[in-house]
Amino acid sequence: MGTVQLFPEFVSETLGLSGVLGDVVGSLVAAAVVGNIVLAFTGVAGPWAKRKITAAFTDRIAVNRIGPFGLLIIPAAAVQLLAKELIVPEGVDRPTWDLAPLVLPASALLGFSVIPMGRLGPVNLQIADPEVGLALVFAFASIASISLVMAGYASNNKYSMLGGLRAVAQNLAYEIPLIVTAMSVVIFAGTLQTSGIVAAQGDVLFSVVGFDVPTWYAFVNPFAFVLFLTANMAEIGRNPFDIPEAPTEIVAGYQTEYSSAYFVLFYLGEFVHIFLGGAILAVTFLGGASGPGPESIGFLWFVVKIWGFFLFTQWARSALPRVRIDQLIEIGWKGMLVLSFANLVLTAVIVGVIA
Amino acid sequence: MSLEVPDTTETDAVPERTPDELEALLGDLVIDRDDHLNAPGFVIRPDAVQETLSTLKSEAGYDHLSLVTAQEYENRYESIYHLKKFDDPTQEVSVVVPADKDEPVSESGEAVFRTADWHEREAYDLIGIEYDDHPDLRRILLPETWQGHPLSLDYDRDRPQIATLPEHANPLEDHHHDSESDTMFLNIGPHHPATHGVLHLKTILDGEQVIDVEPDIGYLHRCEEQMAQSGTYRHQIMPYPDRWDYISAGLLNEWAYARAAEDLADIEVPEYAQVIRTMGAEMCRIAAHMLALATFALDVNGDFTATFMYAINDRERVQDLLEDLTGQRLMFNYFRLGGVVWDLPEPRGEFFSKTRDFLDQLPGSVEEYHDLVTANEIFQMRTIDTGILPPEVAKNYGATGPVARGSGIDYDLRRDDPYGYYDELDWDVVTEDGCDNYSRLLVRMREVEESAKIIEQCVDLLEDWPEDERNIQANVPRTLRPDDDTEIYRAVEAAKGELGIYMRADGTDKPARFKIRSPCFSNLQTLPEMANGEYIPDVIAALGSLDIVLGEVDR
Repeated sequence: MGTVQLFPEFVSETLGLSGVLGDVVGSLVAAAVVGNIVLAFTGVAGPWAKRKITAAFTDRIAVNRIGPFGLLIIPAAAVQLLAKELIVPEGVDRPTWDLAPLVLPASALLGFSVIPMGRLGPVNLQIADPEVGLALVFAFASIASISLVMAGYASNNKYSMLGGLRAVAQNLAYEIPLIVTAMSVVIFAGTLQTSGIVAAQGDVLFSVVGFDVPTWYAFVNPFAFVLFLTANMAEIGRNPFDIPEAPTEIVAGYQTEYSSAYFVLFYLGEFVHIFLGGAILAVTFLGGASGPGPESIGFLWFVVKIWGFFLFTQWARSALPRVRIDQLIEIGWKGMLVLSFANLVLTAVIVGVIA
Repeated sequence: MSLEVPDTTETDAVPERTPDELEALLGDLVIDRDDHLNAPGFVIRPDAVQETLSTLKSEAGYDHLSLVTAQEYENRYESIYHLKKFDDPTQEVSVVVPADKDEPVSESGEAVFRTADWHEREAYDLIGIEYDDHPDLRRILLPETWQGHPLSLDYDRDRPQIATLPEHANPLEDHHHDSESDTMFLNIGPHHPATHGVLHLKTILDGEQVIDVEPDIGYLHRCEEQMAQSGTYRHQIMPYPDRWDYISAGLLNEWAYARAAEDLADIEVPEYAQVIRTMGAEMCRIAAHMLALATFALDVNGDFTATFMYAINDRERVQDLLEDLTGQRLMFNYFRLGGVVWDLPEPRGEFFSKTRDFLDQLPGSVEEYHDLVTANEIFQMRTIDTGILPPEVAKNYGATGPVARGSGIDYDLRRDDPYGYYDELDWDVVTEDGCDNYSRLLVRMREVEESAKIIEQCVDLLEDWPEDERNIQANVPRTLRPDDDTEIYRAVEAAKGELGIYMRADGTDKPARFKIRSPCFSNLQTLPEMANGEYIPDVIAALGSLDIVLGEVDR
C-alpha cells in the first residue's frame, strides 16, 4: 500500500475508532462523502450545467429564470421529476424492470471507490487502493451494460429491446479496445494500482521556456490517449456514439418506458458514468489529481479534469453527427481493436527496449 | 443553365405533338374530346387506361403523371390523369376516364405510373371510384371503417363519425407475430421524434435492417379540398393554402392557387406585383429549406445539435422580413387574385436595407453549415450512398422538387414553366447526381443561395421602380364566376416540389372541384424504394431528406 493515508483510515483515526468498528464506520463515512460529491456533480450537471453548456454551443441562453444564473432550477427539477407519476406499463418483467435503474448508477458509483481523487487539505479522497485498482474500475463500469440489457429486455417494448441490444453490441465492441489501451498505460507504470499509475506520471517529461510538461501519459503517448478517449465516449454512450438511446431513431432506447424516479435514476446513472469516464481518463492519462500549486488542492484539479471531460462530451453532442450502428461496430472491431493492439505491442516493445 | 439562355435542345428531343396528332396516336382509344384550359383532354374507355397511359408515356414522351383527379358529376364519375413531360412541363395532356354512375369502376394506371398507386387510393377513399387491377385498393386518408366517400355528391356531411384506432387497426394484432420468421413488426409513429409530424410507418425489421416500410398517412387530414370547394374564388380560398405546407412556405402555396385561379378567370397580374410575389416566394423558400436543413441535422446528429439552432436562427431572420412584408410570420394570406394585398412596408428604404443585411450575412451562414454539416466526415459517412433514389424510379413516382433534383432530374417549374418574374431574372436550377440523402440536402443548401440571388435582383428592381407605376393589384371583379365546365390544372414550384391545383368551374362563384397536387404526397411515396434493405437510422435519414410536411401530405 502507498504511504499516503486513505480516506476511511483518516476518518476512523479522526473519530478515534479502531479495529473492525473503525473500518466499518470509516468506510461508510468515506463512501458517503465521496458518493455525495459525485451525486452533487450530477445534480449540478444534469438540470443546469448541461443546459447551460449546450445553450452556449447553440446560441441560446437556457435556464436563467430561477435563482442566480438559474441555479435554483436544480431543486425545481428534482421536485418536478420526483413528483411525476411512475408509470408501470403492462407486461413489464418485474423485478428486472425495477432493478435496472438501480444497477446503472450503483455500478458507476462503485467505480469511484478506487479512484484517487486527490487531496483536499489533509484528506486524501480515495476510499480504497487495491493492487488491481484499474482492473476493478473497468469491471465495475461494465456492469452498466447489464443494466441496459435488463431495462431493454424487461420493458416489453420494441424500441427498448433495440436499445438494449445496441448497448450490448456497442459495449462489447468498445470495452476491449478501451481496456487494451489502458493496459499500455499499465506497461508504462508497471502497476495496476490507481495511485501507482498517478504517481508514475509525476516526473517532468521536458521543459518549455521554464514550464515543465509532466509525464502524463496523454503527453507521453498521445496516440493511446486519443484511442482511449474515443473508446471512452462509446463506452459511456455519448455522441457520436449515443446509439443505445438515439432519440431520433429508437425514441429513447432502453429508457423508453421509464418515467419519474426510475427515469431520474437512469439519468443519474448516465451522468455518473460520464464522470466516471472522466475520472478514469484523468487517472490513466492526465496525471490524476496533479497540477500546479500545492498537493493539498489536488482534488480541485481532479474536479477540473472530470468537468473538462464532461464539457468535451457536451461539445461532441452539439457538433457531431451520430454514426450508424453497423458503422459503429465496424469502427470498433476493425479499427479500434487493431489500433489498440498495435499500440499495446508497440508500447511493450519500446518500454522493453528502454527499460 | 441560366434562364436568359433558353436551352432549345431539350424541346427538340421531345417534339411537341399537336392535340390532333395525339388523338391520331391514340386512335380508337379516344371516344371523345374534353379539353382543359391547360391541356388537350381525351376521353377514353374506362378499360383502356393502361394502354392509353403507356402509349402516351413511351411514344409521346409524357413521362410525368403529375396528378390524378377524381370527381363525381350528376350523371357519371370521372378520373383525370394529368400528364406532363419532365423535359418540358408546358407540354401537358389530360386523360379523362369516365366511370359508370352506379358502378364506378375504371382500370388502374398503377402498372404504368407507380405514383398512381396512392393517387388512386385517395380517389377511391374520397370519391368512391374503384380501380381495377390496383395492387392495394384501400382507403388512404380516412380510417378503414369510414362510412361513405366524403367528396361524393350523396355523402351525408352532418352525420358524425368517430373511428377509434382499435376499431380500424390494431397495431398489436397477432398476425404481426410470425413464429416461423425472425422478423419484427415495428410501428414508427404516429408519435415518434423523427416522423416530422403525425406520420405512421409500418416497418418490418430483420434485426436492425428494414425489410419493408409502409407509410400510413391521413392523421392530419383536414378536408382542405372540401373547404376550398365551399369558399369563393375571390376571397375565401386564399387563407387556406398557407395551412398546407405550413413550414413557412405559405406564399409559395398561395401562388399555386393564385396562378390557377388567375389563369381560370383570365386575370393579368401587374408586373410590380409579380416582382413582389417572386421576392416573397423566394424568402419563403429559404425559410423552408432552412427548416429542412435543421430537422435533417436533428435526424442525423441527434437532438441538441447546434446546426438545428443555427438554421432556425437564420430562418427567424427571413421570417422577420416576411413579417415586415405581409404582417404575419406563418399564415401570411398576402396574395390576392390579381396581385398582392398591400405594397412594401414604409419606409421602403428600411425594408430594403434589412433585406440586404440578411442577404449579406447569408453566404457566411451557408459556409458555416457546410463546415459544420456537409464537410463532416461522420455526416458524409452517414448520408452518402444511403437512401438511394435512382432518377427513373423518382420519375415513375412523380417525385419533384429537391428530391427529384437530388437524383439529377433537371426539373424546376420556375424555369421550365415560367410564371411570376422568374424568366426575367438570372439564376440557376440546382441539380446533384448523387441520388442519395446527401445530394438532396446539398440541393436545398445550394437552392438557398440561388433564392438569395433572386431576392437580390428583385430588391434592385423594386428599389428603382417608378413611384407612379407601383400597381399592386389588377382590377378584379368583386365576384368571380368562371364559365361553366371550364377546367384547369396549374402548378408552381413550391419548396417541396410541384404544387398543383386543379379546378373545375360550374358557373358559380365557388369551384365545383378543387384538387390539390401535393409534392410531399408524391415524394413520400418513394420512401419504401429508398428505405428497404437499409438500417433504421438510414430510414430516418431518408425520411428527413424527403422533407415532408404532413399538413401537405394529408391536406
